[in-house]
Amino acid sequence: MRSASKLATATILETEAELISRILAGEPDLYHDLIAPYERMVYVSVLSILRNDEAAEDCAQEAFLEAYRHLDQFKGESKFGSWLVRVALNEAKMELRRMRPELYESLDKSMEHEDGDYVPQTLGDWREIPSEALERKEVAQLIQGAIDRLSPIYHQVVILRDVQGMSVADTAQALEVTEAVVKTRLVRARLQLRDLLAPVLKDSAVVSRQAFKKGKNPWR
Amino acid sequence: MALSCRELWREVSGYIDDSISPALRKQIELHLSYCRHCAAIVDGVHNIITLVADGRVYSLPAGFSARLHARLRKEL
Repeated sequence: MRSASKLATATILETEAELISRILAGEPDLYHDLIAPYERMVYVSVLSILRNDEAAEDCAQEAFLEAYRHLDQFKGESKFGSWLVRVALNEAKMELRRMRPELYESLDKSMEHEDGDYVPQTLGDWREIPSEALERKEVAQLIQGAIDRLSPIYHQVVILRDVQGMSVADTAQALEVTEAVVKTRLVRARLQLRDLLAPVLKDSAVVSRQAFKKGKNPWR
Repeated sequence: MALSCRELWREVSGYIDDSISPALRKQIELHLSYCRHCAAIVDGVHNIITLVADGRVYSLPAGFSARLHARLRKEL
């Protein structure tokens, strides 16, 4: 399974490299195909900074245009998706600085509190996920609301790693931090989300701990 | 040496992501076999990751793709 997935990833990378060469050689229409798999990733990434649907859509459009203008600067050292997210996050930060300078300042300030362990709350057992949970719109809204309550550094890491399913390495490249920083932020973010959501979601039934004892992830 | 609760919390992501050593995994599983508090935390975090990974969280606004490609067609 894993080798099939590696093969698929290699094929995607080759296809992307070919599309990029052809776009740079004068076939701009192919840019639509290149970015199609990344629309949600870019939108959600800029939303993590701007926290406003309309502003995020405008900014995502700008980010795709900006990435197109600088496509010749993409050297293939990271994955195209990680590079694109980096462009989008920079675009979103510039937009935030322009629109809400006080919030832009707080992006950096939230990095000052990374020392020490996060101590999770003592809550009752929550062995299983409610079976219909994923089908209910309000559950998706509850989850989104909890993620939105996280401070920016934790919000971004959850968006890229858990919402988008990017690897720790790709998340680190997109955020321009080390993998160790991603891992530290991720554990804090996930524990905070559990503390926020477990009390409202823990009711009944489908996935038990047995299902992930061997390291099965929802993205695999 | 037995793993403390605090040490386990630091590793909860790695345990769920399967990015830790077999030796540490074994220590975590031993701890979980007797510590109900940590077992509830691990289960809770796993459930959160499963729910957050669902595509219905943060869906694109209706018409996003059409508006994006229309703008690209205009400006490329």
